[in-house]
Amino acid sequence: MNRREFLSLSSMTLGTTLLGGLSLPQFAFAADGTVFVYTGSDQNISDFWTNLVFPRFTAAHGGTVKMVDAGDNAGLRAIADRTLAAKATKTDPQVEIFEAFDPRFPADGIAQNLWVNFKEAGLANYGKINPAAFDSDFSLPYRGSQVLLAYDATKLKAADAPTTWADLVTWIKANPGQFIYNRPDKGGSGGNFVRRAIHEVNGRDPKAFTISNYTAEAGEKMLLPAWDALKDIAPHLYEKGAYTGGNSQSLQMLGQGVVTMVPVWSDQVLQAIAQGVLPENTGLVQLKDLAFCGGFSAMTIPTNAAQLDRAMLLANFMLSEEIQSLIISDLGGFPGVSWDHVAPALREKYAAVVPNEIPVFPSGDWATAINDGWYRNVAPTLTRG
Amino acid sequence: MTDAVATAPVRMSIQRRGLTGLLLVLFPVGLLGWLILYPILNALVTTLTLRTDQGLVLSLDSYASFFSDPYSLNNLALTFWTTAVCAVLLLVICLPIALYLRFSRGPLSAYVQALAIFPLFVPSVILAYALIRTLGPNGLVDILLNAAGLPKLPSPYLTPWGPVIGLVWDNIPLTVLMLTAGLGQVSDNAVEAARDAGARPRHLLLHIILPQIINALLVALAFAVLGIFSSFTLPYVLGPASPEMMGPYMQRTFADLMQPRMAITQAVITFAICAVFGAFYVRSVIRSWEVR
Repeated sequence: MNRREFLSLSSMTLGTTLLGGLSLPQFAFAADGTVFVYTGSDQNISDFWTNLVFPRFTAAHGGTVKMVDAGDNAGLRAIADRTLAAKATKTDPQVEIFEAFDPRFPADGIAQNLWVNFKEAGLANYGKINPAAFDSDFSLPYRGSQVLLAYDATKLKAADAPTTWADLVTWIKANPGQFIYNRPDKGGSGGNFVRRAIHEVNGRDPKAFTISNYTAEAGEKMLLPAWDALKDIAPHLYEKGAYTGGNSQSLQMLGQGVVTMVPVWSDQVLQAIAQGVLPENTGLVQLKDLAFCGGFSAMTIPTNAAQLDRAMLLANFMLSEEIQSLIISDLGGFPGVSWDHVAPALREKYAAVVPNEIPVFPSGDWATAINDGWYRNVAPTLTRG
Repeated sequence: MTDAVATAPVRMSIQRRGLTGLLLVLFPVGLLGWLILYPILNALVTTLTLRTDQGLVLSLDSYASFFSDPYSLNNLALTFWTTAVCAVLLLVICLPIALYLRFSRGPLSAYVQALAIFPLFVPSVILAYALIRTLGPNGLVDILLNAAGLPKLPSPYLTPWGPVIGLVWDNIPLTVLMLTAGLGQVSDNAVEAARDAGARPRHLLLHIILPQIINALLVALAFAVLGIFSSFTLPYVLGPASPEMMGPYMQRTFADLMQPRMAITQAVITFAICAVFGAFYVRSVIRSWEVR
């Protein structure tokens, strides 16, 4: 071929390869000192870390910290699988902290020494943690939250608010269309409402459910009565069962005055009241016979993190008095440290949401069974359409 | 002799141009093969085979479990229902707009066209939340009705009609554009001749215009149906918990229920149904080429 054709052909191929190369996303690697925190929680948690924690941490200890949103717990589990694989190939897993994660996933993570053992790690603030908050030696609880009922105080007086499950069911049936909860897989407020129903039909014993005792027979025996209980109240819910799509959507229904009562996370509802999404006089009530589930969120740190030391520094920083006070005042959650280590003024102010006990419900196979069972048994009762 | 010398270089440069053309097209075709054809084949192999102690065996078990599960079939039926209702509504809404744009002469038609194309520039998520704010419970429509002293309308939010409204609104621009393009082939002469012969507008539409644009109509519907059948965002945000359309159902099967093989089966079934509509489109394109 002649020179002109050769030049045009070679420049075309060069141009396309350059374009292809430049269009690849820019990757940042932990090797350049950045600490990556992965979260699967709601936006308010992500905002808390990014806007309140990171500036204080980098002011005190320098360096850069980045928050990555993994979407939900399923996304975090995928990142955990990736971290385990990176451990086997001795490469950089590109994650330093899992903001709230169960170290029992992946299944052989603990056996393969994937997670830092905080009991032996010797963090300075480890002794301050609330003993009730511990779930595993391999995770560090730093904040807690619990589901409770939020109601419109103009339509329901505090004295009439239901305080037991039976009262709640009576109230729902007496006030058709004034209560709704979200689909259990889309948000913990609806999810823990469903779990409270499951507890109710199983003798109000949270210890009956553990992370390893799920079998198909146990599931059928313990979950089917719960579906009957939920189907029983379904026709009296908003639009006979128009379950909302998440925690925020339930809050918006309450804020718009469409329904009178919804289950909500304590931290989300306190933040909503502070932001003006819900009115100041929004009523909050917790069930007295057995509270709604909640839990402490515990962070995990992989042992093969590239910036392990800085990650441990950040973990210790999260348990400091400064951050734990911010968790109460700005996030509306419970601190991971004992309430004795918290200023008395704060303790007084949030007396309404400070719980006596926080029942927990295990994740894992139970969660999958509950979600699938709810969609198949309870959700289709919506006959309108 | 001079002719042979003259034709030889022309033949060679045609070959070289053919080679250049192939090289240029290699990158996008390669991308198509890697990102679209390979995953389809991968999905087919994953769902049609089962790993047993004897190795990979051919098995239709995941398809059998899908088609024997009334819950899944209900979701598939809802997807068909939503697609059919959206197609009918799109036709009813877009054909008059396209006819107006084709046959109107005034300056108003420019504004009508801009309004019809406007939904193209609104992202689906924004549209979903805007619909919740206006058509949702205690939304703008309810507030206006309340101010006028009228009773509130039942909101389509969280019912199967929510995604229908959203999907129709979202697909109006594309359908209007394709119908207007198809109507461009209808000559003014035929319409005027028919009018001169005394044809009323209804006869004009049925006997002159529609037969000429039937191809464009079917193509526009095929495009809309392809998009609506596999849609995710609007059914996810606006739709009910159950029954759910195939898009959100697949996402839930994969992410919440941790059943990737079942999710891939649902995807292959959705793809096969959409491929039928796509084949319809391809067939009409080929037929229009043959006519020309």
